Amino acid sequence: MKKVCIVGSGIAGLSCAIECAERGMEVILVSPFPSERAQSVLAAGGINAVLSSEGGDSIESHIEDTLKGGCYIAGKESVKGLCEDAPEIIKKLEKLGTVFSTGENGKIAQRAFGGQSYNRTCYCGSATGKQIVTALVMECRRYEGLGLIQRRLWTDFYKALIKDGKCYGSVFFNEARMDLEIIYADYLVMATGGQNALFGKTTGSTLCDGYAQGRLFLQGVELKNAEFIQYHPTTLETQQKMLLVSEAVRGEGGRLYYVEDGKRVYFMEDLYGEKGNLMPRDIVSRTMERTGKEIYLDITFLGKKEILKRIPEVYDLCLKYRGIDISRESIPVSPSVHFFMGGIAVRNNHETNIKNLYAIGECASIYHGANRLGGNSLLAAVHGGRVAAESISEDKSETDVKNFEKDLEEERRKLSTRWASESEFPVVYLEDLVAETLKEDLGIVRDEERLLNGLKDVDYYLSVVEKLKYDKSEMPYLGFSVTGILTLAKVALTCALFRKESRGAHYRSDYPETKEEWQAATIISYDDGKFNVRLDSENVYES
Amino acid sequence: MKVRILRKQSPTAEPYWQEFLYEKKDNRTVAGMLDELNYKDNLKDINGNPAPGIQWECSCLQGMCGGCAMVINGKPALACETFLRDLKGDTVTIEPLKKFFTVADLVVDRSVISENLKKVNACIEEYKLSDKADHEQMYSAAKCLKCGLCLEVCPNYKDGRNFFGALFANDCYLIASRSGTQKEEIMESYDSHFAKGCSKSLSCEDVCPMKIPTLASIARMNRRKL
Ligand SMILES: Cc1cc2nc3c(=O)[nH]c(=O)nc-3n(C[C@H](O)[C@H](O)[C@H](O)COP(=O)(O)OP(=O)(O)OC[C@H]3O[C@@H](n4cnc5c(N)ncnc54)[C@H](O)[C@@H]3O)c2cc1C
Ligand code: FES
Repeated sequence: MKKVCIVGSGIAGLSCAIECAERGMEVILVSPFPSERAQSVLAAGGINAVLSSEGGDSIESHIEDTLKGGCYIAGKESVKGLCEDAPEIIKKLEKLGTVFSTGENGKIAQRAFGGQSYNRTCYCGSATGKQIVTALVMECRRYEGLGLIQRRLWTDFYKALIKDGKCYGSVFFNEARMDLEIIYADYLVMATGGQNALFGKTTGSTLCDGYAQGRLFLQGVELKNAEFIQYHPTTLETQQKMLLVSEAVRGEGGRLYYVEDGKRVYFMEDLYGEKGNLMPRDIVSRTMERTGKEIYLDITFLGKKEILKRIPEVYDLCLKYRGIDISRESIPVSPSVHFFMGGIAVRNNHETNIKNLYAIGECASIYHGANRLGGNSLLAAVHGGRVAAESISEDKSETDVKNFEKDLEEERRKLSTRWASESEFPVVYLEDLVAETLKEDLGIVRDEERLLNGLKDVDYYLSVVEKLKYDKSEMPYLGFSVTGILTLAKVALTCALFRKESRGAHYRSDYPETKEEWQAATIISYDDGKFNVRLDSENVYES
Repeated sequence: MKVRILRKQSPTAEPYWQEFLYEKKDNRTVAGMLDELNYKDNLKDINGNPAPGIQWECSCLQGMCGGCAMVINGKPALACETFLRDLKGDTVTIEPLKKFFTVADLVVDRSVISENLKKVNACIEEYKLSDKADHEQMYSAAKCLKCGLCLEVCPNYKDGRNFFGALFANDCYLIASRSGTQKEEIMESYDSHFAKGCSKSLSCEDVCPMKIPTLASIARMNRRKL
């Protein structure tokens, strides 16, 4: 029986675990906390699929919208697979018990997100991700009962077991035993989500830190499109995070403005006409940033009754966290990092450049190109899990076993020397410094000077990180993860400096045009201390 | 203000109380306050003694993942949505959830929740929507965070060995209303691990951060039995 170890139990990890178990494979599903804590539960808006051609929609249109949204640097074949699988995915999710919202005819209701030609976003009230997670957790439990899926909690990824271009499982930090351990597996599937820690406060979960991507990069795994980072234009700042203020507010007529000489300036409408407030996320974010002013979102004119009927969750959120009654006052909003199009480079079957090492969900980069369409990432998380499981199940190559106990001892020794002593300046502070750097130098609008400054900072942090100790009173994970996070920060800056054009979410004020010769994915690899970047002009990763 | 925290250094260590001074800010949540205390270069307790960082669990920081459930001034609540302005007095007391094993400080091991669900095979298996199912109630019940607040507050829930608590009733309803094969089995488990032990104090409904109408799930389960 093939043994698969999956790291991360959000929607991608759950989907893959279930699909592997369905095919009779043995799964170990690893995450520090249960699935209910994963970022996936925050997804509100919906999941895309063409369910009927009645209104004129077609799978071809979903494919074209996705490719166009991604500015034509996502692979055609993989996107085709994604969109073709979507109707089947919705059917399956429903069968597993996802409570989709339905229309008057009893059929699953659909609406449109930005960048879509038709209404094709299925949703579950305002809690799509949560409802999907609940259904997948139940199904996963069925296979746990059958002994095919084994869950491991309190366990953090440390490094993969890789020898001669092939993966044999992974080393983990076991928080219960406070020790490193090896889980050997024929296949390792990474499903660790996005990279929020690079930017400190974002709209997402604190559990998504990007460490795994950074660590794997240092182990020879290629990364892709790291410069493409999506900002959501309307978020509300609290002490600890940026709360997403749903696009639905603008959908209901919400108007963005700033104040000049005591007067409101509706800048999006001035620039783009009546529908200006609903322009794509990257354009709204960039325009907001350019004003250099405090921006507000006004929906008061709708009146309290309608607000409570149409966008009650936004009303509650603003009142609870900032004491703002949106039926009486405008919401102070600013753009925030929201989604990472870049991540681990994978081929169409979700395998990385390392044999038997796969990546799925937001930690992988494959379907979204330079910009992701709302509703496509939940779809990609489920689909990626299915594709990886299928590929693993069909893989006919020989699996063998290698002994990594010596490496484990060496890692144990390294970890204990770093962790054992007090430090006035624990390594975790570097995480805050790098977030400041990236916010400043890898923001919505970039240029060579700032990117070089950012690189200088991050290089400095990297030069000291291995000399600092971990804070003894914290979980060692918080200490050892910093090197991976810093590495990933350098990857993102390096890719952004490399791409001398503007495309999708990557905007360079010194190269504002989109250029045909750059119409390809960025691939970055690590070799003996060097970060090597290239364009995947030959579409190696599209096969 | 004074912050009193029940601390524990490791799974096997003895718990102890430690107090900190904190300049109260009305708009801070308890989660924000913990972050701020931890961010101090050298955390010191009220007597000026160096103190280790305070361990607690979080993920979403907006009341949607259940990670930060703890006992605040004697009441089980989510730290990321409990505001200091709503707390009375100038001392806030924070303890870990007491019905679960404390791993460290405010971090507890809630795996008994999923273990119990696994024990009784709580899953849909074959999907068959029952005509008695109610979309709105299913949507509400499926929002359960598995945070454990309803178990903490329940006078009947002890350690989860026999009585599984309100969250179990909601999951039973989710299965009974949609499973073609598991209905009988789950009705039996519902009887022995919930119905028999519930004294209908309904404190679970008040404390639920998702405002799940558990009573409605219970009513639907009871009706199904008739
Ligand atoms: C506020 C918000 C709203 C959104 N709304 C939508 C929407 O409406 N539609 C849509 O399509 N997308 C939406 N998204 C994006 C979408 O939610 C994510 O892309 C998707 O859920 C990612 O799923 P995942 O399984 O890859 O990762 P996650 O759900 O983030 O899961 C990652 C898992 O990996 C684990 N993990 C992380 N690091 C480690 C480690 N070192 N060791 C072990 N385990 C680890 C975590 O604990 C977790 O279990 C939204 C995102 C946010 C933040
Ligand atoms: S951190 Fe998610 S509920 Fe508080």
